[in-house]
Amino acid sequence: MVHQIEKRKFLVFLESFTLTVLIFLLGIFLGLFFEMYRVQSISDNYANYEIQSLDLKLQNYYYQIMDKNSCESAIEQNFIFADDLYKDGLRIEKYEEAEQLTKNIITEKKRYVLLKTELWLNSIILKEKCGNPFNTVVYFYSNNPDLTTDAQQDIISNILGEVKKNAGDKVVLLPIAGDIGLGIVDLQVRNYDINSFPAVLINENEVLYGVHDADEISGYLN
Amino acid sequence: MDGINYVYFFMFFMGIFLVNLFIILHKKNQYRLFDSPKVTKIYSVSFLVPAYNEEGNLENTVKAIIDIDYPENKKEIIIINDGSKDSTLKIAKKLEKKHSNIIVLDKKNSGKADSLNKGIEIAKGELLAVVDADSYPKRDALMKMIGHFDDNKTGAVTSRVLVKNKTNLLCRYQILDYSIIAWTRKLLDFVDSVYVTNGPLSVYRTDYVRKIGGFDPKNVTEDIEITWHLLSKGYQTRMSYSAIVHTNVPTSLKEWIKQRVRWNLGGIQTLVKYWRDMFKKRAFGFFVVPYVALSFILAVLGFILLLRYLWIKGASKVYSLFFVQNGFKYLKYINLDISFTVLLFFGITFFILAIVHYKMGFKSSEAGNKSILNILSYTLIYRPLYIIPLLLSFYKMLTGDIRWYTK
Repeated sequence: MVHQIEKRKFLVFLESFTLTVLIFLLGIFLGLFFEMYRVQSISDNYANYEIQSLDLKLQNYYYQIMDKNSCESAIEQNFIFADDLYKDGLRIEKYEEAEQLTKNIITEKKRYVLLKTELWLNSIILKEKCGNPFNTVVYFYSNNPDLTTDAQQDIISNILGEVKKNAGDKVVLLPIAGDIGLGIVDLQVRNYDINSFPAVLINENEVLYGVHDADEISGYLN
Repeated sequence: MDGINYVYFFMFFMGIFLVNLFIILHKKNQYRLFDSPKVTKIYSVSFLVPAYNEEGNLENTVKAIIDIDYPENKKEIIIINDGSKDSTLKIAKKLEKKHSNIIVLDKKNSGKADSLNKGIEIAKGELLAVVDADSYPKRDALMKMIGHFDDNKTGAVTSRVLVKNKTNLLCRYQILDYSIIAWTRKLLDFVDSVYVTNGPLSVYRTDYVRKIGGFDPKNVTEDIEITWHLLSKGYQTRMSYSAIVHTNVPTSLKEWIKQRVRWNLGGIQTLVKYWRDMFKKRAFGFFVVPYVALSFILAVLGFILLLRYLWIKGASKVYSLFFVQNGFKYLKYINLDISFTVLLFFGITFFILAIVHYKMGFKSSEAGNKSILNILSYTLIYRPLYIIPLLLSFYKMLTGDIRWYTK
């Protein structure tokens, strides 16, 4: 009898442990659910962007073969796509800041980086075709920055945001994680002789390292 | 997932587990909190009152002990003057002359534990009631405690400490603090885990205390050490929630820190002395020792993780200012657009459970039914102060600087 009472007294530890495990399971379930939801929404958008990207590529082929006077329309399409991609990129950055239970977001990010690279190449072709009517500003940043680099990147991304705001449809802004482990990105980094991040590449010509204010960067634009 | 997240998970798991434990214990035992065993035997009791520079309090403390409802022929009062530099001894002698059951011991200053041991040497009672010289037991306190000693396993019984001096904001916070301390201690009583028998009023079985060699003079919190010593020898320690003693609490932050540093140092010293009993001896080894160790670990870990979080979120923003003259213009400030994360969920759950836990504790004590604002203020303003004495204690422990506490 005494033994029974003793045992019952200590059951409370088991009850508390069970309740805590349940709370943890609920938390992890919700975490996975929200993460899947985010990845899914990024993935859904990506599918649309993939179509948009292919559309742009085909338009480029078409303009190269057929009609030089259609530049205006092509540039407009290019900007719409670039802006959408830029906004979605910021969303991915925000999701990436939250701790993740899986690596799915990084995979999605890589797909976006590829899409941006494709858009950049499209933009280069378009510029050549249409007589350089706009500027490309490619912002190579580090995906694993230390404190100093993180501070610099924080400032630079805001400065570039201001440059873009001021210049409007004169600038295609393409933030690209330079050390995310993609062959095409590594190739571009080597090609333009970029030896550290963050770096800002303006019109495939000028490379700026470190922090430069908005007016200075605007000075390099056409 | 980063390795650091496992540390966060561990911290939240243990924190939520402990808060759940107290909530469940309360739910199961809320109608038994104030129960005390029926008195079947009147034991002879020796009150031990160690006093060091207590000229302002001693007379009232002794008066409160004299006034306790207990047969006169069953109680003796031993005042031990620990080399006071004020008129404590004079007051004690005056009281000795006036009351036949008061004995005064005078000795060189050697600390509270040693004073108590001197008292134990001459005590005639079956029970020892230790009363701090600045504390005032209620008249019925002893009768609410002695019933526990009918169980042969009981080695000590402690009481509920309430704040006497309610002079300023710090004292009012301590009213809440003492409420929570007493309430959680009572809840731990339901699982045989009372791990402190407080200084203001605790009663011990004389035989058992003598058997274990009395109080440890090397420990700065002799009341924690003797409790662990008794538990480690297989004796039980109990708490009587309805036995009340009033005490004076620190009125300045400096005094408060000094007191809490002493508590923490004593806790760490005791933990170091008894850590080998971990997972060995029933509730003591399986709960008390890990629980106290965890309390220290979680507090320090929580503080470090908070600093890390602030560093990650804030340092780069502040650091950014150095890069551009008009850096403020380019700062993103605080981003309130928070994404759902598992850690955020655990953090909010832990916080809500802690608030519920405090609410229950206050409601079951003299603090009463406190508003959510009062509870938030206690949780967010007073409780974080705990880290100051804790870090100071670790520093003092590591540097061996505990002389000024042991006198």
